[in-house]
Amino acid sequence: MFTLPQKDSGTPTTSPGSVSTQGLHSNRGDGLEREGSRKPDQKPLKLYGVGDPTAMFFSDSPYLSSRGSTIKWFWDSAEEGYRTYHMDEYDEDENPSGIINLGTSENKLCFDLLSRRLSQSDMLRVEPSLLQYPDWRGHLFLREEVARFLSFYCRSPAPLKPENVVVLNGCASLFSALATVLCEVGEAFLIPAPYYGAITQHVYLYGNVRLVCVYLESEVTGLETRPFQLTVEKLEMALAGANSEGVKVKGLILINPQNPLGDVYSPGELQEYLKFAKRHELHVMVDEVYMLSVFEESVGYHSVLSLERLPDPQRTHVMWATSKDFGMSGLRFGTLYTENQDVATAVSSLCRYHGLSGLVQYQMAQLLRDRDWINQVYLPENHARLKAAHTYVSEELRALGIPFVSRGAGFFIWVDLRKYLPAATSEEEMLLWRRFLDNKVLLSFGQAFECKEPGWFRLVFSDKTHRLRLGMQRVRRVLEGKSQVAEDAPSC
Amino acid sequence: MSGPSDMPSMPYGQMRDQALRNRSIHTQLMEMVLSLRQTVEDNITQLMTRHQQQDLALEKQRHNQAVRDQEAFLGHLMFQMLHYLQSGATGDRSFQPPDASMDSRVDVGGGQQAQSSRQTCQTFYQWSDFEDTFISYDLSNRGTDISALYHSSFQDYNTYQGNKYHKDKNILGYINLGTSENKICIDLLAEKLTQTDMLYTDEDLLQYPDWRGQPFLRKEAAWFLTSYCKAPARPDPENVVVLNGCSSVFSALAMVLCDPGEAFLVPTPSYGGFIFSTHLYAKVELVPVQLESQVTEASAYPFQLTVDKLEQALLGAKIEGKKVRGLVLSNHRSPLGDLYSRDSVMKYLEFARKYNLHVMIDEIYMLSVFDEAIPFHSVLSLESLPDPNKTHVIWGTSKDFGISGFHFGTLYTRNREVASAVSSFGYLHSISGVTQYKLCQLLQDREWVDNVYLPIYRFRLQEAHRYITDKLKVLKVPFLNRGSGLYVWINLKQYLDPCTFEEELLLHCRFLDNKLILSHGKTFMCKEPGWFRLIFAARPLLLRSAIQQFHQVLVEQGQDWGVKQLEDAKKEELSTSQPAAPARVDELCPEPSGKPDPAWTVPSASAWARVPCAQRRRASPGEDSDTDCASLSAGGGSSSSASAREALAALQGSCALPSALSAPSWVSEARPRGFRALDSPPPRWTPRARPSRPHGARGAGARPAPTSTPPQPLCPAEGPSIGWAAGGGGAR
Repeated sequence: MFTLPQKDSGTPTTSPGSVSTQGLHSNRGDGLEREGSRKPDQKPLKLYGVGDPTAMFFSDSPYLSSRGSTIKWFWDSAEEGYRTYHMDEYDEDENPSGIINLGTSENKLCFDLLSRRLSQSDMLRVEPSLLQYPDWRGHLFLREEVARFLSFYCRSPAPLKPENVVVLNGCASLFSALATVLCEVGEAFLIPAPYYGAITQHVYLYGNVRLVCVYLESEVTGLETRPFQLTVEKLEMALAGANSEGVKVKGLILINPQNPLGDVYSPGELQEYLKFAKRHELHVMVDEVYMLSVFEESVGYHSVLSLERLPDPQRTHVMWATSKDFGMSGLRFGTLYTENQDVATAVSSLCRYHGLSGLVQYQMAQLLRDRDWINQVYLPENHARLKAAHTYVSEELRALGIPFVSRGAGFFIWVDLRKYLPAATSEEEMLLWRRFLDNKVLLSFGQAFECKEPGWFRLVFSDKTHRLRLGMQRVRRVLEGKSQVAEDAPSC
Repeated sequence: MSGPSDMPSMPYGQMRDQALRNRSIHTQLMEMVLSLRQTVEDNITQLMTRHQQQDLALEKQRHNQAVRDQEAFLGHLMFQMLHYLQSGATGDRSFQPPDASMDSRVDVGGGQQAQSSRQTCQTFYQWSDFEDTFISYDLSNRGTDISALYHSSFQDYNTYQGNKYHKDKNILGYINLGTSENKICIDLLAEKLTQTDMLYTDEDLLQYPDWRGQPFLRKEAAWFLTSYCKAPARPDPENVVVLNGCSSVFSALAMVLCDPGEAFLVPTPSYGGFIFSTHLYAKVELVPVQLESQVTEASAYPFQLTVDKLEQALLGAKIEGKKVRGLVLSNHRSPLGDLYSRDSVMKYLEFARKYNLHVMIDEIYMLSVFDEAIPFHSVLSLESLPDPNKTHVIWGTSKDFGISGFHFGTLYTRNREVASAVSSFGYLHSISGVTQYKLCQLLQDREWVDNVYLPIYRFRLQEAHRYITDKLKVLKVPFLNRGSGLYVWINLKQYLDPCTFEEELLLHCRFLDNKLILSHGKTFMCKEPGWFRLIFAARPLLLRSAIQQFHQVLVEQGQDWGVKQLEDAKKEELSTSQPAAPARVDELCPEPSGKPDPAWTVPSASAWARVPCAQRRRASPGEDSDTDCASLSAGGGSSSSASAREALAALQGSCALPSALSAPSWVSEARPRGFRALDSPPPRWTPRARPSRPHGARGAGARPAPTSTPPQPLCPAEGPSIGWAAGGGGAR
C-alpha cells in the first residue's frame, strides 16, 4: 500500500546544479506565505506539467531519512526568504529603508478593526472543555457556527449541516489531509496554473502527492474571453497527458476567487468544471479562501455551495478559512465542508495533528456569530479599503503603462512585466525580481506560481497606504531604470 | 505525548491487503462468501449466548439492534461483492474482507459520532479488536486505513464525547478515566487564562508566523526547559521548534528520520499514541521491546527496561530485515507511572549511540512528579549526552498544565538539520498566534507556576492518587505507580478467565457498559493481558463515582466467574472464605478508616507527603531499606503469603501508602474489607486456578524483591500480615 519514494537514499543523485540554486532563490523573500514549486525542467509539452518535488533535490544527511532531506529543503528555501525579508523588515520609524513586502498575500488593512473586535471581553472566556481534548472535528459549537456562516455568505440553497464541517488549523493542513486521504503516494491532483504555489508543499510533505498543472495562457484565443481562462478542453488535455505518463489523477483543485489572478469563476464555468470532474470521477477541492474579499460588487462571485445542484456532491469539497477574508493568517483557522462523510471522517482522523486551540475555537465562533459587526462594520470597511488600495495601485500601473490582470477580488494584481525582460526566460524573471529586492520591495514572481510565461509578477496591494506608496515608488524606480521597451498602453 | 491514546497495536488492513492482493478474484470472492457464512454463524451464536447473559429489558433492544446491524452488514457485503465483480480485480484497489465487525454506521461514514448508548459491548468489542471494514470508494487505501484506525481507536472516546458524565446534567454519562488528561487543576488554569493580560492581539499575532513558532515563545520555552529540566546550560531558542502538540512533533520526527517502512524501537507497554503518530502519516513501524511484569534475575522490578532487552529487540528486528532508525523513550514511563533513573537513561543513550540510533525522549509528564522523594532527571539535565545530535526531547503543556486543548508541543534538539526539517511541518502544525501569546504568558509567569500552580497541582495529584490507591487496595487490585503521572497501571488479570486479550477486551466492554472508560493493556502494546490504565487526575466527586462503577464491574465480573467457580468448587474443597466478594458498592463509598475523602481543602495526609520515600520505608517493619521504589503497590496476581508480605513491603516502598499508616494500621483497616488470614485460601471469585499459566500470571505479583530472594508464590504465612494483597489468579 505504501511504496517507497522515488529515489533511493543510498544512491547519491545529481540534479542540474542550476535547478537547485534556482529553486532556492525562487523562494527568497516569499517563503512566508508560499512555496514556489520548483520544477526543474519544463516539459516539452506546453499544455500540462507533472510536478515531482522529490526529483529536484537531493542531499544525503547523516541524520535524516531521504524524504527528510527533501522536506528539509522545503524549509531551507523558505528560511532563505524568511531571513531576507525579516532581517530587514520595513518599519516606518525604525527602519524606513527596510524591505516593503508586496509579496505575501495578507490583508493588513483592517488590523485596527480586528484587534478591537478580538479584544472585546466576550473573547476571553475559558471553559474547562475548551482546555481539554476536543472533538477532533472541531467543537460542535464552532461547527454549527461555521455551517450557519457559510450558509449565509455562500448563499447556499439549503442550510448547511454542522456534521459536514471539519475544523482544523488552516487550509494548508486541509490540503495536506485531503491529499493524504484521497490519493495514494505518487498520485496527483490537477490544478490550473498559475496557482498559489504553496499547495505544492502542502500536498507533498505528508501526502507525497503531486500536482499536474493545467497551463493557462495570457493570450486570448478562440472562444476564450479573457486571459488565463480555464476551459474544459484544457482540463481534458492535461488529464489525458498525465494519464499517458502513467500518473493517476484523483482530483482537481480550483481556487475561487483565483490566486494569483484575482478573478472569479462564473456559475456556468463552475458547473462545466464540476461536470468534467464527474465524468472522470475526480474529486474537486474548491478553495474559497478569498470568498469575502471580492470588493467589486459588479464581479458577482458565486460560491460552489450556492449552486442549486452539484453534479457530484460526494466528490465536491469546499475549503474556507479566516486567513484572508478576516486578515488573520496567524490565527490558523480553516474549515472543510463536504457532504461526503467518508472524507469528513478520514480528514478528522488526521485532525489530531492539525488541531486548533479550544480558546481560539471559541473566539472564532464568537467572531463568526457577530453578524452585525461583520455586515455593518467589518465587510463594508474592508471592501472600501481594499478597493481604495486597488484603485491606487492599478492607477499607478496604468501610469507606468504596465498591463495587468485583476478583476476586483483578492489582495493582488497579476502584473505583466514581460516587456522588461530582455529575454523571456525564468532566469531573467529572477534577475528582475532580485532587482526589486535590491530596491527594497518584495514581489512574487510568476515561476513560483508555475506560470509558463516568464515575466508575470504578483503584487499585493492590501497594505497600509504609506507602505503601499513607498512600495510603488520603489517598483517604479526599478522599472523606469530598467525599462527596455517604450511604454505601451495597458492591454487588459 | 497527547491524545486519547487507545489504539490497537497493528494496522491489520495493510497486512491483509498485501496478502490478498496476490490472489485471484475468485479466491477473494470465495473468501468473501466463506467469511459471510462464518459471520452469520458467529453472530447467531453470539446472540444466543448474549441472551443468556443480559437482562431482559436490554435483551430486546439489543436483539433488534443486532438484527439491524446484521441486515446492514449483509447488505453491505452483497453490495461489496457486486461492486467487486463489476470493478474487476484491479491490483491496486485492494480488498478488505469483512470481519464480523461491520457496523451499519460505517456505511454512512460514522460521521455522526456515537451519541447514543447504541454502543453496546458487542460493537465495542468488534470495533476495537479487529480492524473494521471501513470501505469507501472515495478514499485512497491509506485514507481508508487512517479512517479505520481512527475508528477502532477512538470509538470509546467519541462515545464519551457524545455522552459525558455530568454530576447534575447527566449522571448516566460516561466517566472517562481512559484519556490521560489532567483535570484536577482546570480551575487554576481557567482563572489564570481569564486574566486580562491573556487577551491581547496585535498585528504580529495575526500575520503569518515564523513557522517554527513565534520567536518570543521559543525563547520562553527554552528558558522554561532550562529551569525545570535543570539544564546545565541554557538551551538555545534556535534548538526549539514549536508545533501544535506533541503528537505532531512526533509525527514530523517520524517523517524526517525514517523513510516509509523503517522502524523505531519502543519499550512496551508504552503510550499507544506513538503507533498513531508513526503510522498515520509517516508509515513508520514500531518494533516493541516487550517488557514483562514478572521480576526475574534480568529485571529487578516489573517492566524493567534493560540494555539486553533493547539489544535483543534490535537484533530481532534486523533479522526480520527491518531498518531501525531510532528509539522512543518516555520518561516518566507511560503507562507505568515510573521514572527512569539517571543511570538507566545514560545506558539507553549509550546503547543508542552504539547502534547509531536516534533517541526521542518524551518528557511530557516532567512536572507531574508528585512525590518529592522521587527524582526526575530530564535528559536535558545530563552534563554530556552520548550523542547530542541524535537526542531529541519532546515536551508539551497537555499533561503538566492540563491544557491538552491548547495543542502545544515542543521539540528540543541540537541537531539543526532535524530542527529545520521538522520546521517544514510548521505550515501544517502551526499554533494560532494568540494561543502562542497565551502560552508565553503562562510559561513566563514563573512566580505563579512555582508558588501557586505546581504546589497545588502536585498536592491534588497526591491526594487523588492516595484516594484511588486506597480503594484499589481495598479491592485487592494490584497496581503500579511510582509517584508521578496521572494514572495507575492496574492488574486485573485475576478477573480474566481465560487470561487472554479477548477476555481483556470483554472486561473493557463491561466497564463501558457501566459507563466507565478505562484503557486496556493491549492498546499500550502490553504483552500480558489483564492490565488496565486508570486515570486518577480527576475531581474527587467524579473519582468517587468512577470507583463505584469500577467496583460494580468487578463484582459483576466476579459473579460471572463465581458461577464457574461454584462448579469447580463442588469438585474441590470449598473454601471457608469462598465468598470473599468485594464489599458492596454503598459500603465502599465512605473510606474504610473514616479518613476524609480527598476533598482538596483537607490537607489531612499532606504531611506524609513531605516524608521522603526512603524514610517511610525505614519506618515500616520487615522492609528492606534498599528496596527499589518502583514497586507493585499491591501484591499482584499471587495470593501467597510471601508475595503478600512482599506486597506489604512494596506498599511501604511505594509512594501509594500514606505514611501515617504503618503496616498494622493497614491491616486493621483492611480487615473489615474481607480480610482473611493468610493461611486461608485466596479469594475465590477469582478465575479458576489453572495448572499452568504459560504467560506467568503471577508476574503481576512481581515486585522488586526486597531481599535477593525471588518471589515465592506459595510460601506459607507467618505472622500477622495483610490480606488485600491477595486475589491473584495465580493462587493455587
